[in-house]
Amino acid sequence: MEALKNKAREWLDSRMVQLVIGYSQGSGDSVRAVFVHDPGQVETLLFDSRCRQNLAVYLLKPEVKKMGKAALVANLTTLRAVLQLAAENQIGEHDVLTLTVNPAGELLVLSTLEAIETYVAISAPDLSVEEKAELEKYEKLGMEERWQFWQEQFSRCLKCYACRAACPLCYCSRCTVECNQPQWIPVPAHDLGNLEWNVMRAMHLAGRCVNCGDCSRACPVNIPLYLLNQKLISDVFRNFNARSGMAAKAENTLSTFKPNDKEDFIR
Amino acid sequence: MSEFQPKIVAFVCNWCTYAGADLTGTSRMKYSPQVSIIRFPCTGRIDFMLLLKAFANGADGIIVSGCHPNDCHYTSGNFHARRRWILFRGLLDFMGIDTRRIEFSWISAAEGAKWAQLVNTTAENIRKLGPFANYEKLRHQGVS
Amino acid sequence: MARIGVFICHCGENISATVDVQKVAAAAARIPGVAHSVDYKYMCSDPGQQMIKNAIKEKNLTGVVVAACSPRMHEPTFRRACAEAGLNPFLCEMANIREHCSWVHEKSDATTNKAIDLVRMMIEKVKKSKALLPIKVPVTKTALVLGGGIAGIQASLDIANTGHQVILVEKEPSIGGHMSQLSETFPTLDCSQCILTPRMVEVAQHPNITLYSYAELESLEGFIGNFKARIRKKARSLDEKLCTGCGLCIQKCPAKKIPSEFDANMGIRTAIYVPFPQAIPNKPVIDRGHCTYYLKGKCRLCEKICPTQAIRFDQEDEIIAVDVGAVVLATGFDIKHGDFFPEYGYGKYKDIIDGLQFERLASASGPTLGEIRRPSDGKIPETVVFVACAGSRDPAKGIEYCSKICCMYTAKHAMLYKHKVHEGKPYVFYMDIRAGGKMYEEFVRRAMEEDGVQYIRGRVSRIYERNGKLIVKGADTLLGARPMEIQADMVVLATAGVANAGAEELAQKVHISYDAYYFYSEAHPKLRPVETNTAGIFLAGACQAPKDIPESVAQASAAASKVAALFSQAELIREPLIAVVDRSAPPLYSTCVGCFLCQSSCPYQAIEKEEIRGRDGQLIKTVAKVNPGLCQGCGTCVALCRSKSIDIQGFSHEQVYSEVLALLNRRESDV
Repeated sequence: MEALKNKAREWLDSRMVQLVIGYSQGSGDSVRAVFVHDPGQVETLLFDSRCRQNLAVYLLKPEVKKMGKAALVANLTTLRAVLQLAAENQIGEHDVLTLTVNPAGELLVLSTLEAIETYVAISAPDLSVEEKAELEKYEKLGMEERWQFWQEQFSRCLKCYACRAACPLCYCSRCTVECNQPQWIPVPAHDLGNLEWNVMRAMHLAGRCVNCGDCSRACPVNIPLYLLNQKLISDVFRNFNARSGMAAKAENTLSTFKPNDKEDFIR
Repeated sequence: MSEFQPKIVAFVCNWCTYAGADLTGTSRMKYSPQVSIIRFPCTGRIDFMLLLKAFANGADGIIVSGCHPNDCHYTSGNFHARRRWILFRGLLDFMGIDTRRIEFSWISAAEGAKWAQLVNTTAENIRKLGPFANYEKLRHQGVS
Repeated sequence: MARIGVFICHCGENISATVDVQKVAAAAARIPGVAHSVDYKYMCSDPGQQMIKNAIKEKNLTGVVVAACSPRMHEPTFRRACAEAGLNPFLCEMANIREHCSWVHEKSDATTNKAIDLVRMMIEKVKKSKALLPIKVPVTKTALVLGGGIAGIQASLDIANTGHQVILVEKEPSIGGHMSQLSETFPTLDCSQCILTPRMVEVAQHPNITLYSYAELESLEGFIGNFKARIRKKARSLDEKLCTGCGLCIQKCPAKKIPSEFDANMGIRTAIYVPFPQAIPNKPVIDRGHCTYYLKGKCRLCEKICPTQAIRFDQEDEIIAVDVGAVVLATGFDIKHGDFFPEYGYGKYKDIIDGLQFERLASASGPTLGEIRRPSDGKIPETVVFVACAGSRDPAKGIEYCSKICCMYTAKHAMLYKHKVHEGKPYVFYMDIRAGGKMYEEFVRRAMEEDGVQYIRGRVSRIYERNGKLIVKGADTLLGARPMEIQADMVVLATAGVANAGAEELAQKVHISYDAYYFYSEAHPKLRPVETNTAGIFLAGACQAPKDIPESVAQASAAASKVAALFSQAELIREPLIAVVDRSAPPLYSTCVGCFLCQSSCPYQAIEKEEIRGRDGQLIKTVAKVNPGLCQGCGTCVALCRSKSIDIQGFSHEQVYSEVLALLNRRESDV
């Protein structure tokens, strides 16, 4: 990944950016996020198929913002997260400087939101064939079976909120769980509160989730959170023909409507 | 052993369904006392979390009702609500929560009869479905 | 500490016949926070209200719950009573135990228990209620009227006559609109100009009306009572203060063959022109697109000939900034031109014209001085076919609606033709006759019975030329869909009434909604026909939907009355049941993270961006802010906000949460 390292070094040297957020070797065979300030450290940067973490999550953290202008090594879902954040007024044109590697292995510099839109447009499908198949498997279970499945999953939930911390679109400075007047979501990790927390988070991501999977990877007890988000991604697309993270100026699914939105369950 | 009397909460909008229910009253049409109404300015105001709170506090069934599309007093609140319900209902169903326990409806201020009919039908349906056993178990596990 | 007063009404027997009101009062008394709980026969009566006032004072109540009829009935009554006793009216709520309980259930424990539930629910809500003050918004008492047709003229005069200032903006060089193009108006056959021009003169002379003609709205910012408008006064190439309207420049202008817009392209005008003789203002304008000086740098004859040297070739557009409190949109409509029905041959055959063009032919000051003559050869047509519904009521071709005025003006056209050409043969192909106004049906009957207009119920399928005649092929459905073929000398198409070009752009500039056809949307189709969903912006006339002159005038006066009501008080007082975005101390300032989902969902443009800056001027964050003058209190933004940073007074998060819990958690002590 010489091209990547060279570009990072060049930008840090020229002070075009103060920080490069990228991936580097972690423990064992894993990769981890890395924050490179010093041009000498760019050697640690890498990019391969293990680099799935959505690094856009760091763009809005106050500690990272204090470090100065950042360049972001991005995979496809990271780029979509960047666009979704732009559509939600969280980042502007001048905050964007991304590096990605296309399927042919070439390094691409995407320095404007428009450039990211163009790149993302040619490559992102909705849910992949495998994802659709897995989702359907769960959708086809009987109601009681579905209930038991999710109850079992949520019984392990610790309310650690790692899913929230990992998600680039969970950027609220005061999350609803932190409200105590009223206490919308009970704090202890019991089944009722776990259910409510996960339903609420899934709904808050409706029309916004870019399917990066970080929430599921972050969950210490392996709850398949991605299933909930993919269910909503699929429903949003099927009902409203909308997809998140495709344009820097896009309407949000839940804050807009069409007069002819269809439903079959309202009397 | 007395017959199961379901507890049903109705979330309705002030301008259409609440007024429609007033008309039901003025017309002295009778319906089941299992349903109690909470008034909102608009269906757009109804947070989906409130529905979960209702179940968590012992509701066996829920009614959500507002103005017909295009008739919203605030122009578009019910359109936003509709989108929200489409997604929320899909999610609840996916998780095995019985969406037959939530009735959605558009009832205008002139449809007093429709309100009575909706309440009676819903009360009957929920009675047949029985108490919300799954949620009952959840409730007693901790403070809500 | 909450000290709630609970008052259970018997409502005579209406409630007490099925609900055990004493039991309800006793149950309420046992609820923590309730300091006073009684029942009484008629709470809304004077003694009833006095009970509440006394209790407020004696027991130092912090809130009141009246369990009685629907709040839609008496909430204002009890809120006023509380206010009179010194308790903020928004700390008073009603539990509906009549319409929603005693009247719809049988007498039983279940009914009484439900009443107790409802009372408990409102007690818990009131515990979370906050004292609210009405919102006051200042009002600039100047109105902006956009459009100087009959609707705009009427609205301007009505508002001006209330003593307030009006700024009237018209995009054409003269006011008058389409009504000035008409020859005679139905159902009276009044000369249109004769009834219109006195109004136009009144506008020009009225001390409270400032007229900007040949001008358009450039931008509109602000909100009700506090709009800032910028008007672009287009360059006439003329110093209006010097021009006397003598008309010499028009006489001498060598560019004489320009199609006249006022004459619907049936006549010609010069490059420096006044659209019609009775124009207000009666000052010419130079059409820079056709003037020899602007095209080729030559001529300048008008400049040389003008006795007061009023011509200014280098004049530029001027932007005028004005502060207004209300805007009335009276921008009118147009009729559909062009060949949307190629079967009808409009544009292909010169003698197929539309309704406005026929008006110009019939008009005494028109291109043919009122004689009905064919455009092609100037001959008087012996047979004229009028095609009604040419484009309207046709889902297949895109205009689904009825254009409302065509049945009437088609009858009028046929009659005018017959009056002018005594031996002429007028035919009308129609689908239905819509003549619902006063004297309208009699008017159409007159056309059929007295003026011998032949009405054929059926549509025209094709018009083509053969041997110098226009062959109109249609069907007579009253005779079993018998095919008809009429050899006409001229055809007049009653084309659909459509929104003016630029309607969409204007609607977006002023932030009002419009429908699929670009007609402007009223706030409620039946009960609020002249208001829009944007507070302070009103509608008058055909820009809202096709309509005739009496209706346009009526709507204009209605809009004027709304404006007058708005201007009648020093400040606009609004109920404070609106949304508020939270604010807190630095460094947080607000839990709002500025995603503005709320802004995109608000139908009233009530949410704005607020930049929070530090003392050094540095931008800290951009958050949402609700404009208290605009928010109508639907709460959609509140339900959408993921971080619960926006709340609505009167139906706050805490209040509705408490209501849900209270309703369901019946306590043992309650029953």
